[in-house]
Amino acid sequence: MTSKPSICVAIEPDLIAAATGEAVPSAAGRVDAHIAQCASCRNDYAHYQAVETVVGDLRTSMAPADAEDARRRLIERLSDLRSRLVHYQVAPSPLGPILIAVTEQGVTLVEYLGRGGAAGSRLFREAGVEAVEGGAEVDRLHGELREFVEGRRTHLDWSLDLRSARSDFQRQVMQATVAVPYGAVASYAGIARELGRPAAVRAVAQALRHNPLPIVVPCHRIIGSTGKLVGYAGNKIGLKEQLLGLEGVPVNTRASRIERDAMYHYDPNPDHQYCLPTCGSILRRPLAQVRLFAHREQAAASGLEPCLDCRPDLHPLSR
Amino acid sequence: MTPDTGFEAIVTVHHAEIYRYLRRLTYRMGEAEDLSQETFFRAYRAWSALPGDANVRAWLFKIATNVFRNHARGERRRLIAHATVQASRHEADPSGPEAAAVAGELQALTVATIQRLPVKQRMAFTLRKLHDLDYELIGQSLDCSAETARAHVFQALRKIRTSLDGHALPRTESTR
Repeated sequence: MTSKPSICVAIEPDLIAAATGEAVPSAAGRVDAHIAQCASCRNDYAHYQAVETVVGDLRTSMAPADAEDARRRLIERLSDLRSRLVHYQVAPSPLGPILIAVTEQGVTLVEYLGRGGAAGSRLFREAGVEAVEGGAEVDRLHGELREFVEGRRTHLDWSLDLRSARSDFQRQVMQATVAVPYGAVASYAGIARELGRPAAVRAVAQALRHNPLPIVVPCHRIIGSTGKLVGYAGNKIGLKEQLLGLEGVPVNTRASRIERDAMYHYDPNPDHQYCLPTCGSILRRPLAQVRLFAHREQAAASGLEPCLDCRPDLHPLSR
Repeated sequence: MTPDTGFEAIVTVHHAEIYRYLRRLTYRMGEAEDLSQETFFRAYRAWSALPGDANVRAWLFKIATNVFRNHARGERRRLIAHATVQASRHEADPSGPEAAAVAGELQALTVATIQRLPVKQRMAFTLRKLHDLDYELIGQSLDCSAETARAHVFQALRKIRTSLDGHALPRTESTR
């Protein structure tokens, strides 16, 4: 290669920029002045202009005809991906690290993580699931969950993806459990009765033991017919006490049972009236038939009226 | 079922261009389709975390560029592993869209030169000259500064210009 005069070497980047439409006006002016004097650079300039013309033709060349087919196939495969996609996030909480997973249909998993962390999550044992960490939706859910477990929120109005239920029966149990409001407790036998299968008490308990959506499907509000807490998410009875305590439910932690005589009682009646535990014989009614509330406000929020005999509105329970 | 209307709109608006970009980089039809699918899959997975005011087009180019770089890296390893395999990808595929579209000798020469460029120069040149991205965004895609991106493009222009030596130039409308 023949060596160029240093002035030509110095101006070369500007020359390329000017010929290909990238130069600032001052540089273009310098280049103009130089090529007016220098035949070799004028030739270079013409070549770069030719390159620019050819490249311009490439830029505007038609979209390939197969792009449309490729796009159609992409949309199909994205639909498949979308149906398998699960966004998840782990966050610390007063109850320990919790994983929330959400699909296009709603929350599919709330999981207390053990020592294995997220890697041990059942999310990764599901076939065909494409798990992706993070996302705005799952962050929002964690924010609400944190408010809930810190006592600053009483409702989690989440869309739930109940496809994660193991069976139709478990799905029904979960739906009945969602209907038990904040600060209230019902019994496994009560849920079984509600589902029209009064003998299926153990099946209800098993369904809730494997509840894929604890907290939001409040299985902690479901207890044994004797008032015993019985169990929670395998062996996490302490968490059940914590959650019930958060909602104001009186729990005798030593006996691991609720204090029924410190709760308002509702035995379904045509007037929708709730009572003090001392009203008539209500304290002796099987727990399968009554629902208990920690606070009057919670009973009122469920559309109940104070009983006109025992007047829980005038004589609230003192704790 | 179709993907979210939001993401489907992104596919509708940007797929053709991203596909064209990848075809320009690979010059193989099947490969470009696989790579553009991978690009949009990755984009879809990350989409929910994308800020609302993000430049979606630049974001997609960045993903496509990464997908292609990974692919090119794998390709290079395969070529090294099979030294007897000819590096045929460096020869113009006559069925490539640009080759089909270009008529003149200069255009064919240019396309062939672009295909022989080192990967980074080829990507920088393609992003700048064929897709009009600015150097800042190209730098982000290639993990380098805007200045370095510009240097890649200019290096590519020099090589293309050199390849035209000895060939008659078309008459250009000189404004000077």
